Amino acid sequence: MTFSTIATPEAKPVMNYKMGTRMEGGRLLYVSGQVAWDASGAIVGKGDVRAQARQTFENLRQVLRAAGGDLKDLMKITTYITKIEDVPAVAEARAEVFQGELPASTLIVVKSLFHPDFLIEVEGVAAV
Amino acid sequence: MDRRDILAERPVEKGRGFMPGVSVNPSRVLFTAGLTGRDPDGSLVSGGMASQARRTFERLQAILAQAGANFGDAVKQLVYVTDLEAYNASGRPERAKFFGGARPASTGLVVRRLADPAMLIETELVVDLGGSRQGAPLLEKYNAEKHPGDFHQGVIVNGGRLLYLAGQVANNPDGSVAGVGDWRRQAEKVYENIGHLLRAAGATPASVVKETTWALSIDSWRQHGPPVRRAFYSGDFPASTLVEIPGLARREFLVEIDVIAAVA
Repeated sequence: MTFSTIATPEAKPVMNYKMGTRMEGGRLLYVSGQVAWDASGAIVGKGDVRAQARQTFENLRQVLRAAGGDLKDLMKITTYITKIEDVPAVAEARAEVFQGELPASTLIVVKSLFHPDFLIEVEGVAAV
Repeated sequence: MDRRDILAERPVEKGRGFMPGVSVNPSRVLFTAGLTGRDPDGSLVSGGMASQARRTFERLQAILAQAGANFGDAVKQLVYVTDLEAYNASGRPERAKFFGGARPASTGLVVRRLADPAMLIETELVVDLGGSRQGAPLLEKYNAEKHPGDFHQGVIVNGGRLLYLAGQVANNPDGSVAGVGDWRRQAEKVYENIGHLLRAAGATPASVVKETTWALSIDSWRQHGPPVRRAFYSGDFPASTLVEIPGLARREFLVEIDVIAAVA
């Protein structure tokens, strides 16, 4: 494995994600913040955070695959959303995409993303 | 150079100022603090977004130069703005003058407030320095200019293994939230949790390379957080960024801190 998982009973996650990952080998990959656009640049799921989350994670997967990896190689993701009310829908979409435990994770509600129609953006760091 | 630009070859990814992904062999990696449009005396430059953006990238350029790097070596940029229209109109053109054709991986966020209420832009970089390890062992922390802040402007990881922690919040092991409504207690709990995880990974507070503090109120954080933070780091500070945002994963959380560290 290109990274190991850090866990301790004294600091547990609030959801199903890793609390820390330590890179053990491979190449360090930074993935740009992904948003819910399709290959042509059209926004998928305008006004629908669940649809946007699915498209966003699919785009994240595409970049990882282009780098010779996949979602399992992610050490850390940061999810930016625009409304705290969207947390449950985003958590559900993430659980569909990631089998088992998520990477180390941060979730932040920002004022907005770089286009008013974007409801979610996800960036990642992977060892591939 | 051992850098690989990852283009997924879709039309949406062509002709933009950034790459969907960038991978490197992490032998020597520089993490910068979030830099802003401050003058050497600490005051913010006048003249709005264009001036602040220019000054931000000038300062980043100096930090890169000290490490023998330039903007073409940037692997990742994170741009925080408080006014997207101003950034698109007059911040982007300034950025382009520094980056030229260089395309790092990128994330852009509109946040509620930066360190100074008049601040319009803050930018941090992850930079590939290439080559084999050299200089100080494991971590080299430096400043390109004098400043009064409790942070370093650049931290170089020399050949260590990178450690990424989940964003830490004031949660107890049983899932309850410590210090509801209490900034001081949440600051203490967040750093307790960071400390536990660093220990579990064979690291210490001095191993922290980069820290991002996401606070619901910068004013409240400044009243209560810094003593806890100073005691945690004992003067050996990482590169850091402080940002005010409108929310975190749960309404009870007042602050979340993201940490990247390195171990031998």
